[in-house]
Amino acid sequence: MRSMLIVALALLPVCAALADAPDTAASPRGIGAKDYVWNRMTPEQVEVLRKTGDAARGREAFRGCRGCHRSDGFGRVDGIYPKLTGQHAAVIIKQVTDIRAGVRINPKMEPFSSDHAVSPQEIADIAAFLAAETTIKENGKGPGDQVRVGEQIYTQRGCFKCHGRRGEGNEEKMYPAVAAQHYSYLLREMQLIKLEARGNSHPDMVTVLRDFSTADLEAVADYLSRMPDHRQARAPEGGK
Amino acid sequence: MIRTGRAPASRSGRRRAGHPSKPALFLMLGLLASASMPLAAQAQGTGPNPLCAACHNPDGNSTIPENPKLAGLDAEYIAKQLADFRKHKRVSETMGPMAGQITEADIDVLAAYYSEQKPTPGVVTDPKLAAQGQVIYDEGIVGSAVPACSGCHNEDGSGTAKYPRLAGQHTAYMVQQMKNFKNGVRNNDIREVMSAVAKRMTEQEMKAVAEYIAGLKGGNP
Ligand code: HEC
Ligand code: HEC
Ligand code: HEC
Ligand code: HEC
Repeated sequence: MRSMLIVALALLPVCAALADAPDTAASPRGIGAKDYVWNRMTPEQVEVLRKTGDAARGREAFRGCRGCHRSDGFGRVDGIYPKLTGQHAAVIIKQVTDIRAGVRINPKMEPFSSDHAVSPQEIADIAAFLAAETTIKENGKGPGDQVRVGEQIYTQRGCFKCHGRRGEGNEEKMYPAVAAQHYSYLLREMQLIKLEARGNSHPDMVTVLRDFSTADLEAVADYLSRMPDHRQARAPEGGK
Repeated sequence: MIRTGRAPASRSGRRRAGHPSKPALFLMLGLLASASMPLAAQAQGTGPNPLCAACHNPDGNSTIPENPKLAGLDAEYIAKQLADFRKHKRVSETMGPMAGQITEADIDVLAAYYSEQKPTPGVVTDPKLAAQGQVIYDEGIVGSAVPACSGCHNEDGSGTAKYPRLAGQHTAYMVQQMKNFKNGVRNNDIREVMSAVAKRMTEQEMKAVAEYIAGLKGGNP
């Protein structure tokens, strides 16, 4: 735990200096570590999932997050800060507790989301608040010329098995919704996942993504960023 | 009445660090006890507190740039700061000994009094710098992951109990506090989030954002 913290702190200036270049150092507790097990529920994650979140309290607790993720949880269209609304509550909880446990690396956010800053009850409240935010705004989109290619890759390589045909994810299994997320964030995350540098990642996803070229990743990000938000009307054709 | 020792706020005139010596403390307490009216009573309702007024002005709108304006700050925030000064959780050569001169019971009365005063507008001397500061205040600094100040302190700088009002505050005071947060001199912020913000900022950025905040109205027309 301690050494994790030191590592995270040591990474901070590097990350700040590089501005937005993804930090590609692997997490010592994340994927790639000998004993990594996907979603090995930490005691804290279990604790938070058991709590009943209160959206009104969550709005207040979310204040400490608004400086980056904005007051409506929409993040930035340039993808530096992801959109959190529309994400499943269980996924929000998994990601925040993974970051707190040092499994997912996120030095930019760490001082504002670690246990001295936010209590387990507040994480549950924030997840409830975000789930109740239903406004859908225009997200950051890709160039738009790779949508067909992206769709083919997404279907043929089986991404939909976990993330759904409409990019809706799966709350129960804690697979994130990926539809209508900001383009640059999607691209960055896939690069990190491919390099095993995000920390938490499903090993089956890493296996598939490993042989993706940059062009492949850009095409998939283009496609996903241009999907309708999964909370909106269902896709006209295809579907399940 | 009560001898305030009107410490000038200029750097050269600042008091020696630490707490008053034992005999001095007894003397002060003696003076307090012998005063016909307890401090709390003086602060109640109408009466501005003369001890505090020496540095913060009777209505809490200090005119000395190093001394913060107290007018319009949330009562809970003021009470927390006074309690922190008394416990030396927040350290200041000038203000520390002053907080030692009041009682626990005075805290709530003083906090209520200053929170109800109307804050005066701040002074902006460099509009160009303020324009740079606005970007920091509303958007943060993405390169160094500084979150937007508006997220916690509100867009108009009106603040809350936990995230203090900043609108119209003296720039010299704010820059000093941000530096104090950055180098650990001030570390009484709940959850250490303000320290985390300041640690990511340069002094130039602090000056720019303070210049912008000085012009904020904070809900005051
Ligand atoms: C200093 C800026 C900053 C603050 C403040 C901040 N975050 Fe983040 N957050 C980020 C960044 C940057 C990422 C994306 C990291 C990456 O690229 O992997 C992120 C990612 C996330 C994610 C993962 C989203 C996903 O799709 O996987 C969640 C959930 C999250 N933040 C929640 C919060 C909550 C809750 C708070 C407040 C307690 C908060 N954040 C405060 C910067 C911040
Ligand atoms: C076995 C299930 C599974 C498969 C298959 C899968 N993923 Fe994922 N994906 C996940 C999980 C789980 C996460 C979140 C990371 C975690 O919590 O470990 C994730 C995260 C992501 C993210 C980041 C989302 C965010 O909000 O941060 C993207 C983008 C993504 N996957 C794209 C893909 C693509 C493209 C494919 C196909 C090449 C794919 N995934 C295949 C399970 C899967
Ligand atoms: C000798 C001058 C002086 C006197 C007298 C004085 N103060 Fe202060 N006060 C200061 C200075 C200087 C600061 C800033 C301290 C720092 O640098 O942290 C301050 C800070 C404060 C703060 C914190 C404000 C904020 O925004 O965080 C409060 C509250 C306060 N004083 C209340 C009082 C009260 C109540 C009294 C009367 C009992 C009083 N002061 C008397 C000089 C003084
Ligand atoms: C994550 C929430 C958060 C963000 C973002 C934030 N602050 Fe703060 N700020 C706080 C807290 C909490 C305190 C102190 C509360 C205490 O002492 O109890 C504080 C205190 C301050 C103070 C001292 C006020 C006084 O009266 O003494 C200043 C000045 C300040 N902040 C400026 C800023 C500026 C400028 C920014 C943007 C660059 C910013 N803050 C961003 C939470 C935040």
